[in-house]
Amino acid sequence: MKILIADDSRVMRQIVTRTLRQAGFGDHDLVEAADGQEALDKTTAEKPDLVISDWNMPQMTGVDVLRKLRAAGNDVKFGFVTSECTPEMQQQAESAGAAFFIVKPFTADRFDEVLSPILG
Amino acid sequence: MSVDVVVSEAELAEMVEQVWVSYLDPEGVSPLIPTYDESQPSEVHSSVSITGSWSGHVVYASSTAAARRAAAAFLAMEMDEVSEADLSDVLGELANIVGGNVKAMLPPGAMLSLPQVVLAPEAATKYPSAERISGLYGTWEGEPVSISMWRSSNDVKQEKTA
Repeated sequence: MKILIADDSRVMRQIVTRTLRQAGFGDHDLVEAADGQEALDKTTAEKPDLVISDWNMPQMTGVDVLRKLRAAGNDVKFGFVTSECTPEMQQQAESAGAAFFIVKPFTADRFDEVLSPILG
Repeated sequence: MSVDVVVSEAELAEMVEQVWVSYLDPEGVSPLIPTYDESQPSEVHSSVSITGSWSGHVVYASSTAAARRAAAAFLAMEMDEVSEADLSDVLGELANIVGGNVKAMLPPGAMLSLPQVVLAPEAATKYPSAERISGLYGTWEGEPVSISMWRSSNDVKQEKTA
């Protein structure tokens, strides 16, 4: 499977990559995006099977990326990894069609718990 | 009008402990040890601003050595391999993580800015019309690290618009 990791922090993209590996998902093909617009463009162009996205990014927030994808008929599995976790954000994510919400800081166990049903 | 909310030092400490356990000290061998010394020196700092239901700043400050150690832990590399870009990125992410967790404790309607990183002591940045309301000061492997919250004063804005 192909996984797109969208986060404006290079460090956080590396940590997500490492945590995926630690959780046993290291064999998947990984693609990175450094802001919301790039996430939207690469999701459209590269057709990943899963998008793991930050919320607060330059150009476009993660939830706006998700809304634009859904508006364009793109049904890719999409979830958030973010330091912000308010009930209103979870509500927005859910109604936009997000599959999961992981809060930073996170552990490999949390990734395993959330992503195993999706990645198998 | 922002509501009067204070995230206590105990709550800040709980969030910071999560960051240490998850990224900086997964083995639980080198925690942040409180010094309660508000005047401890810093060499670098990062911050995020919160606006809306509560307005202010969350600031992460440390020595360069502590920032380098944090970057090495985050990136799983040796301290001497850490570049200045790594240092900035990790400092920004630390402010973002703590700020995001602080935001989660605030009433609905708060917004978080992208992080700002300054490779200079905390005193180099001024937060106009803001006062420090809580802070966690400690040492990590003997190096100073602090996380503080600054609340913007709405009274000043009200006086201007009156």
